[in-house]
Amino acid sequence: MAERYELKQKEVWDGNMAASHALRQAQVDVVAAYPITPSTPIVQNYAQFLADGYVDGEFVMVESEHSAMSACVGAAAAGGRVATATSSQGYALMVEVLYQASGMRLPIVMTVVNRALASPLNIHGDHGDLYLGRDAGWIHLIANNPQEAYDMTLCAFKIAEDERVRLPVTTNQDGFLVSHTAQVVEPLQDEVAYKFIGDYKPMNPMLDTKNPVTYGAQTEEEWHFEFKASQHKALMESPVVIDEVFEAFEKLTGRKYNRVETYKLDDAEIALVIMGSAYETAMVAVDKAREEGIKVGLLMPRTFRPFPYNEIAEKLKNVKAIAALDRNAPMGAMGALYNEVSGALAANGQSAIMTNYIYGLGGRDITAEHILEVIKETEKNAKAGKRVTDLQGFINLRGPKLSFN
Amino acid sequence: MLQIRWHSRAGQGAVTGAKALADVMARTGKYVQAYSVYGAEKRGAPMTAYDKIDDKPILDHSKWMTPDYVLVIDPSLVFQEEIVDNTTDDTIFIVTSHMDKDDLLSIAKHLQGKKVYVIDAIKISQEEIGRAIPNTPMLGAFIKVSGIIPFEDFLTSIEDILSKFPRKIIDGNLRAIKRAYEEVK
Amino acid sequence: MATPKEMMTTWDKIQPGAVLPSFEDPEKKIRSKFNSYNYKVADWRVEKPVFNRDLCIDCDFCWVSCPDSCFIVEEVVNKRGKKQAKIVGINYNLCKGCAVCVDVCPTPIKSLLMFPEFVDNDEALKQWPTKDNK
Ligand code: SF4
Ligand code: SF4
Repeated sequence: MAERYELKQKEVWDGNMAASHALRQAQVDVVAAYPITPSTPIVQNYAQFLADGYVDGEFVMVESEHSAMSACVGAAAAGGRVATATSSQGYALMVEVLYQASGMRLPIVMTVVNRALASPLNIHGDHGDLYLGRDAGWIHLIANNPQEAYDMTLCAFKIAEDERVRLPVTTNQDGFLVSHTAQVVEPLQDEVAYKFIGDYKPMNPMLDTKNPVTYGAQTEEEWHFEFKASQHKALMESPVVIDEVFEAFEKLTGRKYNRVETYKLDDAEIALVIMGSAYETAMVAVDKAREEGIKVGLLMPRTFRPFPYNEIAEKLKNVKAIAALDRNAPMGAMGALYNEVSGALAANGQSAIMTNYIYGLGGRDITAEHILEVIKETEKNAKAGKRVTDLQGFINLRGPKLSFN
Repeated sequence: MLQIRWHSRAGQGAVTGAKALADVMARTGKYVQAYSVYGAEKRGAPMTAYDKIDDKPILDHSKWMTPDYVLVIDPSLVFQEEIVDNTTDDTIFIVTSHMDKDDLLSIAKHLQGKKVYVIDAIKISQEEIGRAIPNTPMLGAFIKVSGIIPFEDFLTSIEDILSKFPRKIIDGNLRAIKRAYEEVK
Repeated sequence: MATPKEMMTTWDKIQPGAVLPSFEDPEKKIRSKFNSYNYKVADWRVEKPVFNRDLCIDCDFCWVSCPDSCFIVEEVVNKRGKKQAKIVGINYNLCKGCAVCVDVCPTPIKSLLMFPEFVDNDEALKQWPTKDNK
């Protein structure tokens, strides 16, 4: 039996340490991983826990991230609770297997520390990897600080493993801004955390040799569409379970999470949609703007997938202008948040003025002052009743002003 | 919100120092953030680490700050003008040097007119810990200058934080902290 | 081969994750409809392997190598009282005539040889090479 880890009521952990402890408390059967900055400490801490007797499961060091996710797929198909961690290039190398994991409906949990994708090489935070995995069929949960990195990882297991879901889940935290920033975290005691997640219930385990099953069947045109449609349906219907898990988590801890997070949005005339640690920085900007009399609020999809489009439209139905801020190089389009929020509004017959801002690539700093400028530009659109600012702007970019219309 | 910026070279323990300070302060009920800014550099490259300490949860995740304290734990970085970036007239500098304050200021002109304290954290760490790891002595100097918490409380917390190390290392660090507390000028 | 019409399940009745069971009833060894055992691929064979029990040493190379799991095995007890698998024949409903089994068979005179489809197995065994003309 794994030893119990002595935890204080309040710990000072960075996001990586928080994720490591959540994995430890989940008593994962198999962690297969290949370390990459800035998520390296997650598996490093985990290996230390294992060496010190706090973990019963297996830790498999593999030769690449492709192998890491492949080993995870194998172990999950065999019938165990499985988790891993990665970032950036490692995530990119896993992508092929991410689709396999979700297609086989394997409830793997992956703690992702978001980082820019090369080239040029950069180890710092942006949402390049998260957006890359957007369509891979995983549930993507967003954590904005170390406490949330811990909480989301515990919730991830419970959501993924629910028999109504059985889909893999990533928990995302910004590289360095969360992963390497130590803050106060209030952890659950080991037995409480484990009880919340519950025992792992295998479904169609390959190690049940009396009842052999095939994983990774070939399906071609007569079958493939039906399988993909049923997989999509599971993802689209997962909010029922996600809401239940968030509710149970609130009962246990008092910490309330929502699929759509908002800040001062109720009476807002303009809104910013922003995801990750900058959502919290934006709270500071909103407070400043409100002191100046600007009625602004914030919105963040806590679940980037499944994307809560109807809930988002509902929450934004009274605002006149919206700026969607994407921490990803959009490469030939508007940012994903812009596109998806616009789609959500259009689907519900709403017509707030939409603009897009790109920020924070490769760890570029974004301050409350920067966000305050965005708020003021967005207010101009609201006041004019039409878009008078650029469609796509860039925050804290050096050089002559860059924009697209 | 109290804001502290550390200047160090990668490998000198500024990150550990910043995290230890955050841990100490969190035990008094404060909210904290401790982080660092570095690239994929080698050991020895200049880097910065940061502490934010407040009575309410800290939401601002930007790296930018106007520090109340600047802690320089590498003697050569004292001469780099970047250490005064974004500081105000009230910012307090605690720097590592074997020189006394007047000699130091005559060379490091960017520190003239600033509130400067000097501690030879390198020498103290070499003599007490046996290695040039100036982070813990700097903490001792900081506690003295800032008076942010009673020294005894600080010692109790830091001993617990260091408890994963062998006794010899813990004792060395505690001696270094106490010496720096006495010697900072 | 096109999927038989009766197997064309709709999206709402499909196996989650395309995880397909081999058996409908594992106890009674009733194979499921997904089991490829039910797909017969023998129609296009022009040559067939013939198995010569007299020469076979039960090394199981053919059993391992056959891409369509054609080799029929019986459980027997050997001289030392140990359970052992004994190759007893070939399932001609599954065999596609690829000759891999003939290739891997290690006996000095092959225990498996390819013959034209129309040659009767008894006739084939009579034509089997001997030591002198192998
Ligand atoms: S010929 Fe090919 S398919 Fe037929 S039994 Fe031999 S190996 Fe199997
Ligand atoms: S390979 Fe040849 S000798 Fe070996 S089991 Fe098959 S038929 Fe017999």
